[in-house]
This record gives sequence, C-alpha cells and structure tokens, in this order.
Amino acid sequence: MLDQEYWNPVLETLPREKLKVLQFKKFKQILTWAYTRSKFHKALYDKAGLTPDDIRSFDDIKKIPKVEKSMMREIQNKDPFPYGDALCVPLEEVSVFRQTSGTTGQPVYQPDTWQDWEWWSECWSFILWAQGYRPSDRVFLPFGYNIFVAFWAGHYAAEKLGCEVVPGGVLDTQSRILKIMELKATAMMATPTYVLNMADVAKSKMGIDPATLSINKITCAGEPGAGIPSTKRRMEEAWGAKVFDHSGATEIGAWSYECRKQPCGMHVNEAMFLVEIEDLETGEIIEEPGRKGKMVITALDRIAQPCIRFDSKDIIEWDSESCSCGRSFRLIRGGVLGRADDITKVKGVLISPAAIEEVVRSIDGLGDEFEVVVDKQGDVDRIKLKVELLPEITQISVENRLKDQLRLKTNLGYQIEYYNYGSLPRYEAKAKRFKDLRKKDTAQKEGRP
Amino acid sequence: MKTVLDLNQLNDNILKVKALLIELEASASSFPALSRNSKRALASVKMMELNLCDLVTLGLTDHPLSSNP
Repeated sequence: MLDQEYWNPVLETLPREKLKVLQFKKFKQILTWAYTRSKFHKALYDKAGLTPDDIRSFDDIKKIPKVEKSMMREIQNKDPFPYGDALCVPLEEVSVFRQTSGTTGQPVYQPDTWQDWEWWSECWSFILWAQGYRPSDRVFLPFGYNIFVAFWAGHYAAEKLGCEVVPGGVLDTQSRILKIMELKATAMMATPTYVLNMADVAKSKMGIDPATLSINKITCAGEPGAGIPSTKRRMEEAWGAKVFDHSGATEIGAWSYECRKQPCGMHVNEAMFLVEIEDLETGEIIEEPGRKGKMVITALDRIAQPCIRFDSKDIIEWDSESCSCGRSFRLIRGGVLGRADDITKVKGVLISPAAIEEVVRSIDGLGDEFEVVVDKQGDVDRIKLKVELLPEITQISVENRLKDQLRLKTNLGYQIEYYNYGSLPRYEAKAKRFKDLRKKDTAQKEGRP
Repeated sequence: MKTVLDLNQLNDNILKVKALLIELEASASSFPALSRNSKRALASVKMMELNLCDLVTLGLTDHPLSSNP
C-alpha cells in the first residue's frame, strides 16, 4: 500500500469524460441541497429565474449566479446567529467554527458539520499522500492552532494517513526549531514566509543550518510563494527539503496540490471541486490552456455552508501539459498566480506582487524580505521597492541586476531603497508586503475616512 | 503487478457498514456513547462513499484496477 502513488487510485486516474459526468452529478446534488435548505441560495437563484431543474448540461452551470465574499459578509447579519441564512443544517449539527483571516475585509464565518470536517481532512489526505507523506513521517506543525483554518485539516489528514503529528502551537520560533531537532521531525507545513523566517532565525540567531535538520518535505499554504520558482528554490536550499505547493481557503476547502513530480503547477482535485476560469474582462469561461483568468469554484460535497460558484479572485491558468504522475486531474500552471484584488495598474502597467517577488528572490545578494509601496507624487504613480542586502553584500554588486530584471519582468522603473539585513518587518503567517497608498491618498484629499 | 479490485464488492461492503451504523445510531438514542460515536463513524463512511460509491452508482467503474465489467 505504501508504494501506491495515489490516495484514490480510481478517482485520481479517472478518464476526463467520466470525471465530467461525476462533477455534473455532484454539482446538481449540491445545488439542489442549497436551493432547498438555504434562504440565501434560494433567493439568489430565484432572482436569476433559475431552479436546479434548469441545469440540464455541463454548459448550463455557468448560468448559476456567482457568490462573492461580500455577500457572505452581509448574510452574517441575519439569523441564525452567527452564520446567517446560507446555513443548510440545524445549528446543533455545526461542530466546528472557523473564520477567514480578514486580509481583504471583515472576516467571514464558516460553519462545518463533523462530516464537513471529515471532508476537509479527506481533501488534505489527497494532498499529503501525493506529496509522499506516509505513516513513517513525523510531521511538525508550526502554526497558531486558532480560529483560522490554516493547517488544522492538514493536522487531521496527517493523522488519518498514519503519520505522527507534533503540534508546535504556541512555541516561539526558536523553540520550534529546537523541537524539530530534538524529535527528528521529517516533514513540516507552514506559509512560505514562515518557512523562510524559520530558516533565517535558525541560521542568524541559533547558529543552526536548517539543511542539516531532518526535514525532508515541506507543504506550503496561505501564500503563492511555493509556486514562485525563486522563492521555492530559496526554501528548498535553506532546508535541504522538497517544498510542495497547495492551495485552499476557509470558504472553499483544500482544492489543489502539487504532487511528487513537482510539475511546476498544481493538480485541481476535480473529484471534490469544480473549477472554472473566467476571463477578467469578458466573464467568458476559459477552457484552453495559457489564458489567465479568475477562478470560480464549487466545493462539490461541503454541506453546512455550501460553496457554489464562489468568486475566489484567485488568478490561475490551465496548463497545456499533463503530469507524468498519471493523474487525470488537470494542472494549473504555476499554481495560484496572484489575486485579482492585488493586480493593479501602476503608470498604466498591470502589475502583480508575485512578479516582483520572483525577481527579488532570484537575486542572490538580497535577503528574503522586501516591501513594495505604491503612492502618488503629484498626479504621477510612484512605485518604491525596499530590499535588504545580505551581510557583506554591497549595493553596487546587486543594483544593476535588480533594476534590469525588474524592468524586464514587470515593465516598470522602481525607486529602490536598500536596507541592512534584518531591518524590514518579519511575518509569521501571511505577509503584507504590497502597500497601495493611492486610494488612501485620494480619500484623504477628499476628506473621507 | 497491479492489484485488481472488485469495486462492486467494496461498494456493497461500504453500504452494509453504513446501514448498520444508521441502525445503531437510531437504536442507541438513549445511549450517547454509542449514538454519538455512530454518528461520527457515519461521517467517515460518507468519505468512503465519496471515494467510491458515487462512481459505482454512475456506472463509471470500468477502470484498469477494477475486476468488474
């Protein structure tokens, strides 16, 4: 069993035409479930003049209205407290509360039944098995174990696989590193920012080279870093471990994963989720590879607060290649490429923070941390990049390479500020490295709060 | 050599376990330790249904690993 490549050898290799049959059946099921149990969903679909019976083919799915995060925030003012009227089960069936991190606004509350929670860990089981986690692994989880979903389901999935799980909850970074060393942990799950931060603390404050520890694989989540080649390379070199990407969200579930073949992208778990990619301008559904768009996603089996055609704002694109691992689940090229919220125009040029990260972390003399600030000088956009020089590295030795690469990869000129190593803020979870002050400036000029 | 699985038999067994647990949960309603554990076990059984039973129901099991026609 342990040499088996797939968590589910049937589903993960199901021919695509059969996968589509399965997805359509499940989509109809969850749609009917929500329509008959949730006032929110019924009102949404009634307003569009649709009932589940109107969805007769796969092509009809796009007729179903999308759900925006802002809608989920609004329903929380309604009964039953605290979730609102998208709840499809009696309150006493809810066994787990989680909430979104609030990065993009007021947090959204997420109820789950015990079955939903089993489903979360089932989705994670696909991920961990594909990344080579086996019962012989001792998995260290250096996260806060709080109201955010973070790696909770990864914890339970690792237990389900038979791994030994070490919950590194409220320990500080140095204590976590010591515990990894003491227990000879073989695997770890963390955000890319924290993976790099831990390595930095180990080296600079403890004199420990993390590559000499026993960690041989790391699963990342929460940020795009593990899908950004230069960031992935830094993490792999620092820890001497394979670094795998995965993507999930509180309102959605754990919907995609990189497998052991590391195909420069992630498999969508199409047995559990239906992923559509929508053109950012026309709203057309993109089927062909190589065109970026916004992900609209349905969790096909989540029941307490269904996630049906949720507008995730994640930017993704289909890969033209299939993976040599043999899974029939489609690949998204490069993982999650950014968020529609973060992609902004500076001096008329579309810019994604991930593109800047890729450049900064590809320059060897620079530290892992950086910060991007966009503001206005008069009426003209200005983009400032703050970077750290590694000890004994001079500005002159990196300056030209950095400027050239930024110009090449992002088509913009930057005002670059160089800082001593260790000067910029460090983060333990999701980092906030991109600051667009232009809206704030405009609001202040207009006297708005 | 790949193991060949009798997917229909596996499906039947999952459904038998499910039926037993439903019966146990209902008949032990005044015995919280049994009824609540049955309910939890049913959630795990549901995961087995998602992994296999939906495929069998839809007749999608003519797979290289399957011994079923």
